[in-house]
Amino acid sequence: MSRRDLDRKVLAWLGEGVDAPRDDTRFETLALELFAYQYAHNPAYQRLCRAFRVRPEDVARWQDIPAVPTGAFKEARLAAFPEAQEVRIFRTSGSTTAARGQLHLDTLELYQASLLATFAAYICPDRKRIRFVVLAPSAANAPDSSLSYMFEVACRELGSARSAFYVEPQGWEPERLIADLRELDEPIALVGTAFAFVHLLDALEARGLRLGLPDGTRVMETGGFKGRSREVTRGELHGAITAALGVSASRIVNQYGLCELGSQFYEPTLRTGVPTRSKRVPPWVRTRVVDPVSMKDVATGERGLLVHYDLVNTGSVLAVQTSDLGRVTQAGLEILGRLEAAETRGCSIAADALLAGP
Amino acid sequence: MSALEGLREAHHKLEPAAVIDALDRVLATWRAPASVWRTKLQHEHGIYSSQVLELGTAEALRDWTGEALRRMRARELREPCRVPPVTAVWLAGSIPSAAFHAILLPLVAGSAVYVKPSSQDPLSARLFAESLRAQDPTLGAAVVVGNDPTLLESADAVVAHGADETIAAIRARVPPQRVFVGHGHKLSLAAVGPAVEIDTAAQAVAIDIALYDGRGCLSPAYVGVVDRPAGRAAAFGRALADELEQLASKLPRGPLLTSEEAALHEMRARAAVREGVRLELPEHGSEWTVILEPAGSRPAPGWLRCLPLVPLFDACELEDWCRRLAPHLSSLGHMGWGRQELLSAVQLGGGSRACTLGRMHFPPIDWNHDGISPIRSLLRLIDAESP
Repeated sequence: MSRRDLDRKVLAWLGEGVDAPRDDTRFETLALELFAYQYAHNPAYQRLCRAFRVRPEDVARWQDIPAVPTGAFKEARLAAFPEAQEVRIFRTSGSTTAARGQLHLDTLELYQASLLATFAAYICPDRKRIRFVVLAPSAANAPDSSLSYMFEVACRELGSARSAFYVEPQGWEPERLIADLRELDEPIALVGTAFAFVHLLDALEARGLRLGLPDGTRVMETGGFKGRSREVTRGELHGAITAALGVSASRIVNQYGLCELGSQFYEPTLRTGVPTRSKRVPPWVRTRVVDPVSMKDVATGERGLLVHYDLVNTGSVLAVQTSDLGRVTQAGLEILGRLEAAETRGCSIAADALLAGP
Repeated sequence: MSALEGLREAHHKLEPAAVIDALDRVLATWRAPASVWRTKLQHEHGIYSSQVLELGTAEALRDWTGEALRRMRARELREPCRVPPVTAVWLAGSIPSAAFHAILLPLVAGSAVYVKPSSQDPLSARLFAESLRAQDPTLGAAVVVGNDPTLLESADAVVAHGADETIAAIRARVPPQRVFVGHGHKLSLAAVGPAVEIDTAAQAVAIDIALYDGRGCLSPAYVGVVDRPAGRAAAFGRALADELEQLASKLPRGPLLTSEEAALHEMRARAAVREGVRLELPEHGSEWTVILEPAGSRPAPGWLRCLPLVPLFDACELEDWCRRLAPHLSSLGHMGWGRQELLSAVQLGGGSRACTLGRMHFPPIDWNHDGISPIRSLLRLIDAESP
């Protein structure tokens, strides 16, 4: 099957939106076709499959498609197309290690279709357009940030003319942001990284301010605190947002995504009106929860390592193994933190930062 | 009476010849064919398989005799000096013989020892102290196992093992006029030269890799192999894989933590996607991995029996490798090289030991760990000038 045919099939599914029925047969068929394509056209992925002695003809279930750990995206160009066709590279933040993971894209069509389908459904379920207040740099200022790209597309396709980004290359702009928030005369979508919200809350506290954002306002925060000087729990963050901005818990959504994945996962809070920690898995994605030692599926509801199979990743690899811990229940996917980094139980140096690289 | 006061009192009762005789008897109980201490160690240690502990401990202690201790003392204490009455020893890592060695050296000098065990291996120090008490109460009273950081300030000398940051933090607590010896982060390298049969070298390197599962600073973090004629390194990789497969049953790897298993999985995958890398893997599981690197690559160090194998062109490239490891190189295990080439490579890496492959984990009792003399480093030498 050609890449064009695969993209067309995936786009058709994305076009059905997040409420399309969960169709396991359709997913398996497409996943296996995509695996065969990526094995044939993605040299780095083929090397991994061959090293672990897996060939497409031996794989009959989507669960058996070899997954690539996110760390491997730092080592090689995991792309199923020539470099000359590249239109974009998204990179991980790389705040804690020298090497950065990279997602190579030869088209933004699927990426965009996926993000709009989920963003519209979970952040703007009640209106066609809304004013976005973005606590992140614009895509022009952070061209390799998948998050900035997502906000850029959301602003363009779902945002009103007054939507704006409040993080500039030289840093963020608390004065302009707070002034704009105080003068709001319409509901907004206040979106950004969790750590940017911490900065906003600190700035408000330093000024002794508490705001009451207009009814209908919603908040979306994403990302963790890895490599940051300060960490707060998600519950603390949401509580502080409610207290400082006057946005109730039923209008705060956490999004979970990875640079290496084309699709994102959202809490359905704005659709159901009920705060939840469980995220919806889009119909074109499957998430396995595995035992980190055996790499076998754990029982439903049990905690384990998350492995995502995302059909939107047609140009890279569809199976991505994370370092995130979570569980899947009837309510959806719950993120429970990250697998702790292994420390040396010995006296040898564990220093890939010391020696890795050119 | 505080631990420090007790140790000062015990120090006064230590008589060097009697200490060495007692240590000789204690070490004999550890070496004995059915040693109760080795048995306890194997049952309770938890990080390594009993087979690894058996071979590692028996081989390490083989030459730790009273005669070797007497020779070392005579060599190290040949001038007038002050022996610290109490030495605080802060341990790191999980290798039993390294803990025994660290406790034993101050005792041979005549110093009482306060030992803080490693958090990963609280057993080895405790068992060794127990074996001292069981054999000789006077000697036993001169070793206290505990976790009191104030000893870093009050002991007469401090020997610390651990990560560089830990060493720096401990050093900052030790008063300036006290003796301080720090053993920070280190790693070792196995180098296979042109003048050795690859099967012989592979057999020896496999032992060094399997012992202590790559966790020790004497464990090879890389294997460098002279790749002339071309393909020799790959052939060595296959031979090493065969040896590691055999050792998987003879010297099985210890249990891994979940985070270690995941790290190993990622390490293999990260290697597998890189161009020019070839992996040798067992049919099932992750017991061992040989990562044959392309020439000129700069991989991260190996661990947990997952080792990068780097083709070398010649001795100059070996020197380059060692230079890149500086100042963290500990030992250079070798076969098939000239003596001068080796010494030069060790020097460039800031290392302190060249040894034959297969013996990387077994330095002699009087070795200059990290280039530091084993006992003299604890002493304050006294110059008695002629009138």
